[in-house]
Amino acid sequence: MKVFNRHNIAGAIAALGILSTATAASAQTTYNIASMADFTGPYADVMKDLIGARRPAIEWWNAEVGSKLGIKLNSKDYDHRYDAAQVASLWPGIKAELNPIVVLGVGGPDVAALQGRLPADKVPMIMSTAGYGFAWKPDPWIFNPRPTYSHEAAAFFEWYRGKRGGTGPLKVAVISSEASPAYVDQHKGIEKYAKDNPDKVEVVEIVFTEVQPTDLTTQINRVLRKGAEVISIQTNTAAVVATKRAMQAVGKKVPILMSSHNGVLDSGRAVGDVKQMEGDFEVYAMAVPTEEKTPSRAFFDMLTAKYNMKAQWTVTAVQGLAQTLVALRAIEAAAAKVGADKITGESIRDAMLANDIKSDRIFSVLSDLDFTNEAPFPVKGLKAGIGTIKDGKYAAAAQDAPVPVLNKW
Amino acid sequence: MDRAGVFATSFGRDQALIRTRQQWIAFALFAVLMVALPYVVGPRLVAISTAMMISAVVVIGLQINTGYAGQVNLGQAAFMGVGAYAAAVCATKFGLPFWLSIPLGGCAAAVFGFIFGLSAVRIKGFYLALTTIAAQMLFHFMILNVPSSWFGGSNGLSLEPARIFGVALDTDRSIYFLCLVVTAIMTFGAYGIVRSRHGRAFVAVRDDDVASGMMGVNVVRTKATAFLIGAFYAGIGGGLWAYYVRFVAVDQFTLFHSIWFIAMIIVGGMGSVTGALIGVFIITAVRESFVTLGPSLVQSFPTLGGDVVFALMNVFLGGIIAAFLIFEPRGLMHRWTILKRSYRLWPFPY
Repeated sequence: MKVFNRHNIAGAIAALGILSTATAASAQTTYNIASMADFTGPYADVMKDLIGARRPAIEWWNAEVGSKLGIKLNSKDYDHRYDAAQVASLWPGIKAELNPIVVLGVGGPDVAALQGRLPADKVPMIMSTAGYGFAWKPDPWIFNPRPTYSHEAAAFFEWYRGKRGGTGPLKVAVISSEASPAYVDQHKGIEKYAKDNPDKVEVVEIVFTEVQPTDLTTQINRVLRKGAEVISIQTNTAAVVATKRAMQAVGKKVPILMSSHNGVLDSGRAVGDVKQMEGDFEVYAMAVPTEEKTPSRAFFDMLTAKYNMKAQWTVTAVQGLAQTLVALRAIEAAAAKVGADKITGESIRDAMLANDIKSDRIFSVLSDLDFTNEAPFPVKGLKAGIGTIKDGKYAAAAQDAPVPVLNKW
Repeated sequence: MDRAGVFATSFGRDQALIRTRQQWIAFALFAVLMVALPYVVGPRLVAISTAMMISAVVVIGLQINTGYAGQVNLGQAAFMGVGAYAAAVCATKFGLPFWLSIPLGGCAAAVFGFIFGLSAVRIKGFYLALTTIAAQMLFHFMILNVPSSWFGGSNGLSLEPARIFGVALDTDRSIYFLCLVVTAIMTFGAYGIVRSRHGRAFVAVRDDDVASGMMGVNVVRTKATAFLIGAFYAGIGGGLWAYYVRFVAVDQFTLFHSIWFIAMIIVGGMGSVTGALIGVFIITAVRESFVTLGPSLVQSFPTLGGDVVFALMNVFLGGIIAAFLIFEPRGLMHRWTILKRSYRLWPFPY
């Protein structure tokens, strides 16, 4: 009697396959990620790409990495309205309802409301925005894959000074505002850097304006007379527009330096024509989202093709991708250390502090990251991307400008 | 207004806040509900309730200042901020316990408010509103520009949790009870103030400051006192906020927050302590409902897209506040008063 025919064997293999898949599925441990965003507050208009980039990255990880590790990640979005009071009232519910192992945060309100809570609740938060000097404290539970805005500006100053040539310091004017502690922190960091490196940078003046300045002709004329070679504006697009108009009025042009939230494209749209931003720059310690075929762009395209990515390839999308990828790689490292079914917020934090995250593991969206216990961001070894408008088109002026080591301010 | 047939037969009874057995029963039930709340609802609702109580203290102060005394105040968030910073400084730099830091925060805010109250002696209306906006700006620039060793500058100030008998009030439930006790004291205090001669002077000055002056009310002192009391309440709320979040920064107390506080007394009803409480409840409840509903809608109907859903939530929130202003500009308390009067007089029209 022929017991094993071809069909029986095929059936047995299929049954075994189904069984093993079912076993794997049942062995899969599910964890939650809390995804904070400003959907109805002052930055609601730029959240689409940020939030749109997070979810496909998590889906990709579940399919390609988590399935092999026996981990499934769920994420849930929360509207924090960019308000610390809202975050404070949301968090206990998030903790009870979702019990997240990690939080993806945006901006100062998350930091303000949760910095006292997260160490007790033992949940780390990974930010999309750059860091601040006032949050530069040891023993972090809140992590910034990017350094402070001042670090990023200093990276640009060193890069631009090298490009300019010569031995004298780069003369910089800063347009700032006292409307927000974050703005004050940005220019304080630049001042400290200039004070510590008088051979590299000289701050000719810090111009304080209202939050949404309309006319800066007098101030810009003054700083140009003082010989400013770069005007640094890390506040908002309104300040960039006013500065641009002022330079047009006085018939002079020096490069403006912007950041991720008020970059050349956003400011160009506000000015009325991106071509008017020719020769201006934006800097952040992330990949510059140009049309170039970079590893980060290829990853983004793959997410678009396979995981229904709706976000556009913008700086905000890069921010969302960056923080999510860091969180995902940290979860992997934690799983390797404690086991896929024993991951906790604390083990993720420990993994972040114990392991480097290499740039190629996060598709060059960020440079190599080495978090230590002394700061919420890597204090050395970072690289910054510098975007510009060249021949009327958005382009990367540099993808790996070294971020200098700064002293605390 | 009591129901038909209830008369106050003594001055004490006429003065009493709770006058009938039914009112006592309702009050006792409410008190039991408030005490039991953290044990019967989830942490999210406990946190929302805590935030409501902190807002309630601040908004009651605004109600006394604006609703009773008629002094337009767009700087209540700044007064709250002064209280929060003062409490944080008392706690971190002088090591004072919370039961001293919070009242001292209130006193600091009262002094700050009193200074701006003096300007109310000479100006009113839009001009006074501008002066209180100046208070908002002054607070902001003062905190950022005085030596950072004083108030932390742009770094803000971090606090340790409040402690009582060696026990840290660092859980949602414990901070809820701290806020409950303080809010209860401040609310009863407010009822007392508005029913006292000071409260009657506030109303007189609000209705006609020239006439009230002619009747012997000290208008200057009354206006300044209204600011002092309103700011004291804001300062107490600020102190509670400082111990709730355990981090104080200048951008937590903006003009935008002051406008929300104004919205709360408008929706609840001007010139009523209960109206202030109702306004806080309604505005916070609607806002929190939309914030909670948004992510659930996106999760249930992903094709809608998060940006559309959340934008609609914002439109709804704005629409509800606008609807209140259009259909009941005197606030919900006015509607409640009409309902009560109709019920008591029924079936007679008057």
